Amino acid sequence: MDTDLVVRAQRGDKGAYAIVATEIADRYLAVARRILRDIDLAEDATQQALLAIWQDLPQLRDPALFDAWSYRLLVRACYAEGRKERRWAPNLRLLPVDEPIAKDGLSSVIDRDQLEGGFRRLSIDHRAVVVLHHYLDLPLDRVATILGIPVGTAHSRLHHAMRGLRAALDADARPPVREVAR
Amino acid sequence: MSADRDMTRIVRSWLRTDEHESADRVLDHVLAQLNATPQRRSWWPARRITDMNNVVKLAIAAAAVVVVAIVGVNLLPAGGGVGGSGPAVSPSPSPSPSPSPSPSPTAAAFPPAGKLAAGARHSMIREGIPFSFSVPTSGWISNGDWGIDKSAGVGPDGAGFIFWGDTPVGVFADPCANSTSPPVGPSAADLAAAVASVPGTDLVSGPSDVTVGGYPAKQVVLTVREDVKCNASSFYLWYAPTPDLARYATELGSTIRVWIVDVNGTPVWIDGETYKGAGPEPGQEIQQIIDSIQFE
Repeated sequence: MDTDLVVRAQRGDKGAYAIVATEIADRYLAVARRILRDIDLAEDATQQALLAIWQDLPQLRDPALFDAWSYRLLVRACYAEGRKERRWAPNLRLLPVDEPIAKDGLSSVIDRDQLEGGFRRLSIDHRAVVVLHHYLDLPLDRVATILGIPVGTAHSRLHHAMRGLRAALDADARPPVREVAR
Repeated sequence: MSADRDMTRIVRSWLRTDEHESADRVLDHVLAQLNATPQRRSWWPARRITDMNNVVKLAIAAAAVVVVAIVGVNLLPAGGGVGGSGPAVSPSPSPSPSPSPSPSPTAAAFPPAGKLAAGARHSMIREGIPFSFSVPTSGWISNGDWGIDKSAGVGPDGAGFIFWGDTPVGVFADPCANSTSPPVGPSAADLAAAVASVPGTDLVSGPSDVTVGGYPAKQVVLTVREDVKCNASSFYLWYAPTPDLARYATELGSTIRVWIVDVNGTPVWIDGETYKGAGPEPGQEIQQIIDSIQFE
């Protein structure tokens, strides 16, 4: 992030902040969506975070730390939105029952479904570590800084989360799909 | 170690499969609110509570109590009291809404997303047939498309409904393996018989002959077994062909009640679900909603 823009925004320059926000918004929405697994909640979290960043920018002591600081506000907004997460409810699912499905393709569909289920069972704490590390490719010491936790805790959360996702894949292993008749 | 690398690769690949998100809408909202959103500046003198002497702390605490009391009094509804259990006073002078005894003359395809007012009539059209229903208590929420559920969510106090826009035509021969049985029907009796035989479920009752909104219907009640070989979201029960929609269990161990109403030869399918450990109330509310249905 351009430090000059951050400094100008800190001083109340709305034009400068508009440039900053435009530069980070898509990326922050992508991160929020991956943590929350819901586009509506992710949009709300991103909006809250972008406004919080603007409001609190004057209190950022070192503009060079803008990225880590602003990610922390984003994750905090995700926590808040995560508490509003939609309840499970009776549901329907679109089935590709009439389409021939290649075995590999089907397998990946099942994996995604199982990963989704496993990921949703993780706490926001654990999801944030997974997304920041495996989606943004941030090293764990940086992830720890962003989340304000010790590096050891970041390692522990990542380990726990990956173990949970692996368990989701293993537990949900099913026999291959077979159409009885149509 | 190799397995760890595989898992990392799978998770990284999965996180990157979603489509690119555009935050344009979010950005528009944020930029529109900047003028009305002042920045927070540290203009106040920094002070930690431990720096204060006890007299100052006591004074601040007393002031806080006064502020809370004043705010609290001002927030109390007129005529209300602390702990009052009466209904919230409407800020609008308009007369309070009273439940309409008859269905809306212009039925909507489904009640709009949001809370459903208890006692009021809520209209929808399923399979081209307009009808309405009411909910007995607050806390029921419409998803605006095909379902309503009790705000308690999944749990002993929760419940949910699916009002099918297109009536299911068959059930799953192997619910854990996504294997469908051939379509059955079109009579309500044929469909109900198929529902009563879905593998991995225990039949509680039915198919029974009942009436819904004055029309003959078949009712089946079943529970999803907890020892099936897949999780709830992979346990498919019945399907509709247009589009290829399938109902899956919300929770293993849940109880699903199905009504297939024969409205002059057209089957209308409604199913309601209660969850593990549910007492009688959620099921009673589901039955009350069914009993409230009026076809136009």
